[in-house]
Amino acid sequence: MNKLHWRIFGFIVWLAALPVFAQSATPQLPANLHWQTNDADPIFADPAAKRGGRFRTFMSSFPPTLRLVGPDANSGFVTYLRENNLSLVNMHPNTLNPIPELATHWAFDPDGKTVYFKLDPDARWSDGVPITADDYLFTLEFMRSKYIVAPWYNNYYTEIITDVVKYDDHTIAVRESSAKPPNELLFDVAISPTPRHFHKLDDNWVENYNWRVEPNTGPYQIGDIRKGKYVEFKRKADWWGNDRKYFKYRFNPDYIRIKVIRDLNIAYNYFSKGELDSFPLVMPRLWYQKAQGTPYERGYIGKIKFYNDVPQPVLGMFLNEDDPILADRNLRYGLAYAMNFDKVLKTVLRGDYERKQTQNEGYGDYTNRDIRARPFDLQKADEYLRKAGWTERGPDGIRVKNGQRLSLRVSYTSDDHTARLVVLKEEARKAGIELTLQLLDATAGYKQVMEKKHQIAWMSWQGGGIAPTYWEFYHSVNAHKPQTNNITNTDNKAMDDKIIAYRDATDKESRVRLAHELEQMVYEDGAYIPSYKIPYTREGFWRWLRLPPQHATRMSDVVFDPMGSTGGLLWIDEEEKSRVQKARITGESFAPINIVDERWRVKP
Amino acid sequence: MRLFRLNPVTRRRWSRFRNLRRGYWSALLLGTLIALSLVAELLINNRALIVHYQGHWYFPTYADVIPGTAFGLDYAYETDYKALRQQFAARNDGNWVLMPPIPYSPFETDLRADQFPPLPPSLADRHLLGTDTTGRDVLARLTYGFRTAIGFSLLLLVFEYCVGVGIGCLMGFWGGGFDLGFQRIIEVWSNIPTLYVIMIVASIVPPSFWTLLLIMVAFSWTGMTWYMRTATYKEKARDYVMAARAIGAGGGRIVLRHILPNTVSTIVTFIPFSIAAGITALSALDYLGFGLPPPTPSWGELLKQGTDNLESLWIVSSVVVAMTLVLTLVTFIGEAIREAFDPKVHIHYE
Repeated sequence: MNKLHWRIFGFIVWLAALPVFAQSATPQLPANLHWQTNDADPIFADPAAKRGGRFRTFMSSFPPTLRLVGPDANSGFVTYLRENNLSLVNMHPNTLNPIPELATHWAFDPDGKTVYFKLDPDARWSDGVPITADDYLFTLEFMRSKYIVAPWYNNYYTEIITDVVKYDDHTIAVRESSAKPPNELLFDVAISPTPRHFHKLDDNWVENYNWRVEPNTGPYQIGDIRKGKYVEFKRKADWWGNDRKYFKYRFNPDYIRIKVIRDLNIAYNYFSKGELDSFPLVMPRLWYQKAQGTPYERGYIGKIKFYNDVPQPVLGMFLNEDDPILADRNLRYGLAYAMNFDKVLKTVLRGDYERKQTQNEGYGDYTNRDIRARPFDLQKADEYLRKAGWTERGPDGIRVKNGQRLSLRVSYTSDDHTARLVVLKEEARKAGIELTLQLLDATAGYKQVMEKKHQIAWMSWQGGGIAPTYWEFYHSVNAHKPQTNNITNTDNKAMDDKIIAYRDATDKESRVRLAHELEQMVYEDGAYIPSYKIPYTREGFWRWLRLPPQHATRMSDVVFDPMGSTGGLLWIDEEEKSRVQKARITGESFAPINIVDERWRVKP
Repeated sequence: MRLFRLNPVTRRRWSRFRNLRRGYWSALLLGTLIALSLVAELLINNRALIVHYQGHWYFPTYADVIPGTAFGLDYAYETDYKALRQQFAARNDGNWVLMPPIPYSPFETDLRADQFPPLPPSLADRHLLGTDTTGRDVLARLTYGFRTAIGFSLLLLVFEYCVGVGIGCLMGFWGGGFDLGFQRIIEVWSNIPTLYVIMIVASIVPPSFWTLLLIMVAFSWTGMTWYMRTATYKEKARDYVMAARAIGAGGGRIVLRHILPNTVSTIVTFIPFSIAAGITALSALDYLGFGLPPPTPSWGELLKQGTDNLESLWIVSSVVVAMTLVLTLVTFIGEAIREAFDPKVHIHYE
């Protein structure tokens, strides 16, 4: 969960600078609150879905703990736990409107920082205990506790979430430190409850709770664990949310078994033998080379390519402006024009990915669609490199200035990306730039970037939220010092002012305008070279898996996701399963399945 | 130096080695392969061997980069000789380009718009063993990777033996506290798992050829010390050492001129196996991604690609065959040397 680390780190940094707001708890509910809810949006599950069966998937390592927070908790597996740890409200994955989850109604305070919630009185913990306002108060106490050894949460629940107020057992208010537009504020303060009756906070909490299954609020709970082998979730028979509008017809399999398979190729073999039900095939290598042959031709395994519309991860090259060579803006431009992403996309990536145009994409109105990434253009590259003073070429064809070669180090952490960088390296030689590739292990790479010792960092930041963020990436407060997310060391007064204006703006219109202007400044700064984006997910699945007619949702990262706010749509057709199993022996064929769903595709 | 002068014993060993046909031919074959890999630029390269352009002769192989403008092309980066050759051939105005038999460099990505790497072996494209997942020629990667591997293991061998033989010899010669102390140090040192240390170091500082070599030497010199220590102890007790001492030879002279030459059979028999170990170790590290930084051509990296892409069988089969061949040759040579140097062979004096 490398990406998650980056993201969380970003938050820590961001939080550190926020002023602490004084708490003011008033147990009197303000009059004239305008309570809102949402039962008007269409459901996104299929009423034809059938319950039952076992969905089998895999993870690459066994989780180091079953805690949601604390040391080692941020592994890949924690996603499954979080998906069953519901929030007050969530986002409708197609309309992007808020929908009720643990709260039935919400209301905004005129101060722009506080949201009131009416809790669902039927909501129960998995051990049958009702969920009340006290569990939300406990979240604050729990997350601020030093015993959980989770500095990020300590910080977030102190400096962002400043207060939770209980009015009665089923009415609370959650307050944030600064005012925000309502749509952003609501999802920020939609916290999750923590079971007060389960936790005993003391010095041994981390060890004592390492392997204990915490009561949760979602449709599944861990039913069976074999250490090092698998974790199996079991559907709650009488889950309180069964008949809620947006939960109905979802979360259909009775069991979700997540098997540990450490190697992706071996995992694929499991899938092709029918031991796993679905498999991610986003990588061109898998989609074109592995996912071929008899089971696909005979229609036992289907393929789906589903375009989604979610905030894109910020992938690309981050240039360190504190580096003596890269400090020159003209050189940064020249470098950008020397990067042949087009060739990478057309060859190694088989034309499957798309060029990313700017840092923040997939944020709806906030996205500045006018910016185009600098294309591969040797003439422009030459022009800018000359402006930067790199006019001569050495005997090996690499530019030299005052005896120094134009050699730049690219640090990256995934071996899968070597092929892409090798092409860039070879093409950059044409412009007289040498790139040396430095493949680091994830931790070492993270450390190098956080200490700002890189020249060019090839990496990604996970996107998320409703609006892009700039403060942690580009404000000068975070430049020239370690452990901040301003890894380009951008230090620009005009940008600083705009970033602060953007953060302080509370109405959407001016925030959108400022976001567009900031995006333009990012482009002009030239310290970020966008690489590519993947506006879809691709998966393989056995014929017996069924989906609603619309397959997935606008926000779906994964089509065959058994749980989560966009998942739980699939079901297992047991009759079809036995038919397919029989056909595999007899060799009988079905119609091949090749689905391409473009309903949410964003036209470039 | 006496070590290298062919004395009767050495000559006898050499002739015995020559008579062990399997080992001898293996040595010849391996020698040829190494020699060819040293001039690989002439055989497998994307730079032309000779360009004849407007009455001028160019030999780009070992020269500086010649920009395209030198041949009337419109770009300032390195000339694409394959394209140039076709142009010259098409125009037919007396200019010509002679390319090496395999016109690809190990770094060059041969990417086509309609085909996706890895490409299968093809005689027409001159990709005799196909290309890897980035579109680089497998044969070129294999050849240059062989050069890296053999160079690495030979250098490793030299450094390792310098340290190992030196310390082992002194342990045996001086004995006493020095011997005892070093024995303990070596016992502790050799229990550190080398591969893990390299992985840890590699995760902090990405290794270059020389740092990797240094780390490997630092942890692999211990193996030789035990044999040398024993051999020295044995030789030290011999009469000729006593005689040398009696005529006033100093410690250094005794070790270098008397003891070392007499332990050479111990050293020589280990050499082929050390080479094999060096190649395997480097390949293992590259396979795991802790070896030489990309895009250095390496067998381990090819093997990794091959096992990840088993449906592109040409990658994995090429590297497995190559590795098996080289390791078998080295082992055959090793066996033959061991036999040729075996002191237990009966000699008849007439």
